[in-house]
Amino acid sequence: MMKQNSFNLSDISLDKQKAPFVYTDEQLIARFQAGDENAYIELVNRFRDRLINFVFQFLGDREQSEDVVQDTMLKLYVKKHYYREIAKFSTWIYTIARNLANTELRKRKRRKTTLLSQMTRDERDYDLPAIQPEIGQEVQSEFAEKRIQAAIHALPEHFKTVIILRDIQELSYDDISSIVNVPLGTVKSRINRARLQLQVDLKDLR
Amino acid sequence: MNRYQFEDLISEYIENELSLSKRKEFETYLEENPDARGLVESIRTNMAQMKTIPKVIVSPDFNDRLLARIQSDHTRLDIPITSQRTIFGFTPIYASLMTGLVIAFVFVSIQLVSPADGGIPSQTQFYAEDSVPSLSNPPLQNVKNRTPDLADADADSSLENNKIKSKKDFSKQMHFVND
Repeated sequence: MMKQNSFNLSDISLDKQKAPFVYTDEQLIARFQAGDENAYIELVNRFRDRLINFVFQFLGDREQSEDVVQDTMLKLYVKKHYYREIAKFSTWIYTIARNLANTELRKRKRRKTTLLSQMTRDERDYDLPAIQPEIGQEVQSEFAEKRIQAAIHALPEHFKTVIILRDIQELSYDDISSIVNVPLGTVKSRINRARLQLQVDLKDLR
Repeated sequence: MNRYQFEDLISEYIENELSLSKRKEFETYLEENPDARGLVESIRTNMAQMKTIPKVIVSPDFNDRLLARIQSDHTRLDIPITSQRTIFGFTPIYASLMTGLVIAFVFVSIQLVSPADGGIPSQTQFYAEDSVPSLSNPPLQNVKNRTPDLADADADSSLENNKIKSKKDFSKQMHFVND
């Protein structure tokens, strides 16, 4: 179905059969740029879960992560003509999601600073209770997951991004290099150092 | 191999990216240092655990909400979509502005560089070319028939000046009483 800049919800089907998986991401975005709205839906279906997992590691909040992924997909819809086939589509969409997640983090940091400055001294002295491990295999495994996520979250920004992309998203070094826009050697070095740092932080887990 | 070199190569070892010689060197270091072997195993376990972190998935109504957002923003979205038509990478507004500026620049440059040759002559220049004769000597055949011009006018005026001077010069007519 080819349409030129016309948008009608009734014409769009979320049925995967209409935009089969035989197309590569780059072919789909090319079709979408040519006006095929079904190609857009197919791209959304392909990337929504991958992106929410990626963004969730930064924000740690499911609702906010979903909002960021929605914004990413909306941006894809509006800025579709900005994509040029010099890079893989996946690196382009990951870069958009990463930038939006960073913007959200900055907003959050600003809000936190404002709230802290508005708090009284007594309120500021209040400490959050530490998560205590409980007996039981399931609970222990959940505790371990939370510890790992907290350790990832505590990493410096440039380590965090690359370790999430490599060890959770399982992207190639080349793709990571394109997304974070640093040389391949630097990416490898950062990933190695991030793994060493995580090992130190999670030493008491075992 | 020292400790720093060993730590730099851990990831490449785990991901099987070391050359054969480096790999042998690395494994020799591991045999000699049991704590190093423990470190590698620990990192390997962490990597495996990170892969088992439960995946977050979007809510079932994700697409519906997204499409609703696109539809609600449609009037707003139309503007950027239509304005994405570009001329040599510039939006039409910027392209026309740039063209205007370039034309203005070229016009002003021509005026500044060669105002007498190529530029439009000014009003004074029109008058000057019509009324003022050339300062170069006229051809000889024209000298006899020539009409009085500025050179004659200059000569007349110099004669009159001499007359005024001679009238005003009383020094020769002055006589001292004692003489």
